[in-house]
Amino acid sequence: MITATSLCAWAQDSYIPYKAYDGEHKHEASAYVMGGDNVVSGKFGGLAVSYNHHFTPRWHLGGNAQIQMWKRLYSFNVTGGYRLPVKFGHLYFDGKLMLNRYNRWGFSEFIANASVTWESAYVDLRLGESLIHFWSKDVYFEDRYGYTEPLTLTFGFGVNIRHRNNPWNIGFFFRNYDDFYYENWNINWGLRWYARIYKQWRLFGEFNIRPAGSMSQLASRYEGSVKLGVKYKW
Amino acid sequence: MKTKYIIIAALAAMALANTSCEKVSPQGVLMAGTAVEDRVQMSNLYYKEHLFEMKFNYDLMNKHDEYTFLVGGDSHVTTDPGRMDEMFAIGLEGDDLFYAHLGDIADTKAEYYIVLDSLLDEAKKRYVVENYVQNEYGRWVHKTHPEDIIGSTYEEIKFPFFPVVGNHDLTHNGWALWSNIFGSSFYTFDVMIDDGSEGGEPIYDHFIFLDTASGTLGKTQIDLIEDGVLDGWYKYRHTFVFSHTNLFRPSSMQFASTFSREETFFLLQQFDEWFTTAVFCGHVHAWDDRVYNDVTYLTLDSMSERNSPEPGDYLVRVHVKKDGDWSWEKVHMDYVSPKKK
Repeated sequence: MITATSLCAWAQDSYIPYKAYDGEHKHEASAYVMGGDNVVSGKFGGLAVSYNHHFTPRWHLGGNAQIQMWKRLYSFNVTGGYRLPVKFGHLYFDGKLMLNRYNRWGFSEFIANASVTWESAYVDLRLGESLIHFWSKDVYFEDRYGYTEPLTLTFGFGVNIRHRNNPWNIGFFFRNYDDFYYENWNINWGLRWYARIYKQWRLFGEFNIRPAGSMSQLASRYEGSVKLGVKYKW
Repeated sequence: MKTKYIIIAALAAMALANTSCEKVSPQGVLMAGTAVEDRVQMSNLYYKEHLFEMKFNYDLMNKHDEYTFLVGGDSHVTTDPGRMDEMFAIGLEGDDLFYAHLGDIADTKAEYYIVLDSLLDEAKKRYVVENYVQNEYGRWVHKTHPEDIIGSTYEEIKFPFFPVVGNHDLTHNGWALWSNIFGSSFYTFDVMIDDGSEGGEPIYDHFIFLDTASGTLGKTQIDLIEDGVLDGWYKYRHTFVFSHTNLFRPSSMQFASTFSREETFFLLQQFDEWFTTAVFCGHVHAWDDRVYNDVTYLTLDSMSERNSPEPGDYLVRVHVKKDGDWSWEKVHMDYVSPKKK
């Protein structure tokens, strides 16, 4: 599962048509490559893989992992959720547990996130909450220090130019999270797209601008990245 | 006076560049006027050219058991500079070695910077009168060194006010105004505690001022930090760091443009490598104090009379003793705008 960053692609595959899960497949596997430029680490490249299992048309559980070279970032998360059909689309109630290792700076991070996503034919909206805890050791690698943010709001908005059950689509998004991190008040924005290349195969991609200090008169570009991936379902 | 003319010229340039000079505009919300990379490159050039001026080796420990410095932030000076004036008065009365300001010193209108510049001129006059005397050659010598026959001209005396730049200092091409007055947003200086002339190693404390007004250090500043530009020349006893953008949210219920993940971790690790004693931040207009990895992080509330109209403890005074012990205390401000009375 590519989580919310490619929500349109995920939803399209997982819940075709959008009114109800198709019930024809139980497995989804996907992978994407990424590349970008970060202020701190400079150019980076990475790979992410995921698997999502549909136990029923309503319940699913999955796992995601990524590695980002040069940043030396290693991530893993498990996620599960429930889909509730409503009059205008679906509500998804999702939970995620995530572990990140920022090895370049010697920091580890644990995140627990709960979110509700409303998805309609053209628009999706997500609200949620994250508990974030990070920790590190001192310069002598002796003492361990930690810090916890118990409340960090998750919010995301996306809009597609075509109805979401079309075989290809392009959309715009802004949000304060990505597949493997949740921010506080730094708002990502960018373009996303997907295209069916065969009955069980999808291509998807994303162009993402990650600013620093947005919405507070700061707004400098912090990181730009692209993703290109493929998804297979069976 | 020269600075005033430059500010007026900058005002004319800004009038051409902007159709609006409101404090907050859509332009200001979405993008800062001068990018952090440009600011840091300019600042680093200025810093290198004025290294000698930026280096303060006070040996006041020979006269006192401790030195103190006064920290305030987010003054957002407009037409009423009362709180800034009070900060300077508190520093004079408390015999503080220097003032540090955490950014957003004035809201970005040229007239506000003219107010600020006049205030700084006046504060320098009071500082010089309080701390210096003129010798028989008409040169100014510090009261602690009356035997100094060389002395300084008035212009050569550096008023010990050290700010970092804040995001509100940048909007509407505010960098042109800010840099005309303060020169560099990225610099360090040392305080000499003991020159080692009586045996033993010289003792210095180190003060680092970062440009974080854009919510990021930017690639240039990170490269300079990694190259050791801010490391100084000595083995330091204490290192104090000043940043506009805060690292920790004062409240879990509060939105705040803290640094992004990678930069937070980079900075926390860098503070550890600098063996930093304390980091002072502003930006969020809320008080917070905490310790992470033996580094004290103090985030100061806004001292602006508009944001904090009631009297309160908006300043911090840091005491650094000769034996190395240090402590901090909140300092009360009484000024209330006449409009509020």
